[in-house]
Amino acid sequence: MPEIKLIITGPPGAGKTTAIEAISETPPVRTDTRTTDDLSSVKDETTVAMDFGEITLESGEKVFLYGTPGQRRFEFMWKILVEGGLGLIILVDCSRPDPIDDLKMYLENFSDFIERTGVVVGITRTSEPDAPELTEFYECLESNDRVFPILDVDIREREDVALLINALVSTLEFSR
Amino acid sequence: MSQYKFSERSEAFCQDMFQQMLDTSDAIYGILISTVDGHDVSKHFLKEMPASKLSAMMSSILALGETIAVEAQQQRCRYVIVENSDGYILTLKIKDKLILSVIATTNANLGMLHSVSRNAAEKLAAHLR
Repeated sequence: MPEIKLIITGPPGAGKTTAIEAISETPPVRTDTRTTDDLSSVKDETTVAMDFGEITLESGEKVFLYGTPGQRRFEFMWKILVEGGLGLIILVDCSRPDPIDDLKMYLENFSDFIERTGVVVGITRTSEPDAPELTEFYECLESNDRVFPILDVDIREREDVALLINALVSTLEFSR
Repeated sequence: MSQYKFSERSEAFCQDMFQQMLDTSDAIYGILISTVDGHDVSKHFLKEMPASKLSAMMSSILALGETIAVEAQQQRCRYVIVENSDGYILTLKIKDKLILSVIATTNANLGMLHSVSRNAAEKLAAHLR
């Protein structure tokens, strides 16, 4: 049976673990530990190695979802996790100080992977008062010579996570 | 960024403990205390190594060890050992928030390394409240 490995990345607290939890058909694998730095004011635990979950598409294809740690100090895990990956979901959290800069950072750090794969960007917490408009995210992609689907999502909702995955799988099929 | 930091007294205790470990086994050339979420807190290295990078990696590997144990329906992960052609890296939790990593050459007896690391972790856990 065909299998697809997809990677979910984004800053700490963007909802990578929540997304995998929301959609995985099997109990997700998590590597959360207690936060001991500034992040502890936002969340008690953080992913330090990877999250893992799996779903089956209507076509029967298995999708393996790998969530990365968000912090840059875990960059080595990003490189390990993208091995054999077919697509990337970047989650951007509008409650953070500079979501556009966050997007730029992930575009840059995953640039080698992005060159050979498909990408979908999920924007979360867009109701935040200072949240940038979606057009600003599109402009950010354009200025980086990238054209990817951008979706406004509530990552706690299974349907929204499914939307991101379906958009990514469609992108991959289109580019085959 | 605010990070976990030892008091001067605790740091002195750690350095004293590190010296005792080095005195016990001359195969040990690196001892590192880091937080479970990957920040370096205290170290004693006899050769140049990237403490911040190693701290993040130790955090990942220990978390993976603990997760693998659960998936394999085993109980609490005590150590993660990386055995290489020219050395060992042994990692274990000191207490809820801290990790001890010991780096040694293959001149170390693995049992001895276990024992030295476990004893140090217990003493550190008792002291670092």
